[in-house]
Amino acid sequence: MGGDSKFLGLWYVAPYAVGLLLFTAFPFVASFYLSFTDYNLLSSPEWVGTDNYEKLFTRDRTFNKSLSVTLTYVFMTVPIKLTFALFIAVVLNDKLRGINLFRTAYYVPSILGGSIAIAVLWRYIFAQAGLINMIITAFGGEPVNWFGDPDNALVTITILRCWQFGSAMVIFLAALQSMDKSLYEAASIDGARNWHIFRYITLPLITPVIFFNLIMQTVQAFQEFNGPYIITEGGPLKNTYLLPLYIYDEAFKNFDMGYASAIAWVLFTIIMVLTLIAFWSSKKWVYYAGDKRD
Amino acid sequence: MKLTTLSLALCTTAMATAAVAEDLRMSWWGGDSRHAATQAALEVCGAKYGHTISPEFTGWGGHFEKLTTQIAGGTEADLMQVNWPWLSFYSADGTGLADLNNHADTIDLSNWDAAQVEAGSMNGALNGLPISTTGRLFVFNTTTYAAAGLDLPQTWDDLIAAGPVFAEKLGEGYYPFEAGGLDAALLMTLYGTQATGKALIDPDTNEIAWTQDDLVNAINFYQTLVDNNVIESWRDRAADGNVPLHENPEWSNGQIAGTYQWDSTYFKISDPLADGQEVEYVDLLTQDGQRTTGIYRKASMVFSISANSEKQEAAAEVLNCLLNEPEGVAAMGTARGIPASATAREQLLSADAIQDVQIEAQAKVINAEGPAIHPMMEFPSVRSAMVDNLEMFAYGEIDAETAAEEMIFAIQEALEDIK
Repeated sequence: MGGDSKFLGLWYVAPYAVGLLLFTAFPFVASFYLSFTDYNLLSSPEWVGTDNYEKLFTRDRTFNKSLSVTLTYVFMTVPIKLTFALFIAVVLNDKLRGINLFRTAYYVPSILGGSIAIAVLWRYIFAQAGLINMIITAFGGEPVNWFGDPDNALVTITILRCWQFGSAMVIFLAALQSMDKSLYEAASIDGARNWHIFRYITLPLITPVIFFNLIMQTVQAFQEFNGPYIITEGGPLKNTYLLPLYIYDEAFKNFDMGYASAIAWVLFTIIMVLTLIAFWSSKKWVYYAGDKRD
Repeated sequence: MKLTTLSLALCTTAMATAAVAEDLRMSWWGGDSRHAATQAALEVCGAKYGHTISPEFTGWGGHFEKLTTQIAGGTEADLMQVNWPWLSFYSADGTGLADLNNHADTIDLSNWDAAQVEAGSMNGALNGLPISTTGRLFVFNTTTYAAAGLDLPQTWDDLIAAGPVFAEKLGEGYYPFEAGGLDAALLMTLYGTQATGKALIDPDTNEIAWTQDDLVNAINFYQTLVDNNVIESWRDRAADGNVPLHENPEWSNGQIAGTYQWDSTYFKISDPLADGQEVEYVDLLTQDGQRTTGIYRKASMVFSISANSEKQEAAAEVLNCLLNEPEGVAAMGTARGIPASATAREQLLSADAIQDVQIEAQAKVINAEGPAIHPMMEFPSVRSAMVDNLEMFAYGEIDAETAAEEMIFAIQEALEDIK
């Protein structure tokens, strides 16, 4: 294999391409086929046509509940998380003493966030006799039933997700630090206040990054599993029973891999449609360098 | 000549030993005490036969899913601890797991009676050897009951009467019993079984044996326990998240003073108790006019050998060592309950290695009467049908009649799937 071989590039990308084909593309296609079958893992799949999808959309109340909970979770989590991440990024963009320490500290939850240990820790913090209720009662309040009350459980799981704002925050911070300072100077000379500078200069110029974070966080929120699985196991009354938990239960508890694949494809379709809507709407609110719009 | 013969003999022995020495894998679920005992037993059994055995152990949660995925992919361990009801899923025709009859020269099957062998057989193939027999019993915290000035309950009425006494004498947050999730569903099932004399699902017909009214009565009984401060409400119990009993501080410190558990899990529930807290098994509580004691009894678990393993004979040697041979039996002790193997049981009894409380509990399980249990009672689809609807009832989302109707519908649907 000479250095000038026309196949050299192919060799370089081969490991990634093989991994992609084996561990992503093949399962992706296989799950689509399986969604039209009755397959219990231990025997061969049997073709059932659109039965799984018909059951899903006409008779499965658990799916309706799980879909509703998932959409609520995503529409709560993503805006809160992005807003909070942007707020912290703006704060950390200032030249404060020990700023690097703060930047690291705020990023740490994102590194730990996906771990089982943090989910267990969260369970203890929000337990009936946990830290949060201790603080509430210390100030004279009544303890809150965070996990047992159907109205609170999803909020508690949402807070866990929002707490892991570090990765979005770092991307916002990078965008803020790459801003052309002369724009701020010009605005200040023209008498613009901080809020106006942020609203009319900073925000429009970081819309590509907001758009990127919006897509990534939406996709991740739709795939949330660890938190609700460890903390509430989907309860109470399936109020934290996100679609990934339902897929897992159907696939690995009820061993209905065909049905689980059908749910997975519905989830994929929802994510894809929302992403396409986001891309379509981005033409109206995302501004790129060299953009000729007013 | 003598030297040549000796050399040949040594050489043959060495070759034989080398020929059978294998690298094996063994998987199981359990608590810390079981993990430690099993690893010790694998060391001595491995050393005895020259095998190296890699342990693969987890808690109960998720083990079914993991094992099934491994079996589907043909990557399961050579030797496995399998829950008895799973046999019908893994090996309905007897070919999904190795037939241990084929290793009868290695495994001393005479240590199990015909009924036990039958329990581990699928379609004539011995797919699993019962490790122990287990049943659900009542366990009460004698320390807390004494503090409340009460004797341990013998009837459901005694238990119901204890609720207000606990609240009055011990204060808020003290309960004479606990039942949430699956435990609540099984407690409800026990009450109904005693009242009807029938298991919820008839193993002979694969049909639901109770009427809707039977189920309504059982569901309402659950509410009676909540209303009388016998158990925490579902909502309050869920306030701490998904925490098992043995990790619950209220159990450890005696605030929760009773539970309905497998007798084979004695160490799991007694180990976490705080100093000074004592527990005791009692016979199943009774109700007026009951038709059966209603014991929920089954082979607690079996040891199986993978049908895909190319080292089945070596795995059989280890299996026999763990269940029948002195070294393995001594190391394993009662980490999986009182052994079903006659030899192992005698060895542990003569060595005083079985605690009195375990012997008494086992006697209660064996001597109690009750209808046969359908394996589907342990399948997730049936369990979630019971637990999900009981939860809806407990939260006041549906009434007992609707809960019963929904349970019957969902269980029938699950039973249809296996037909």
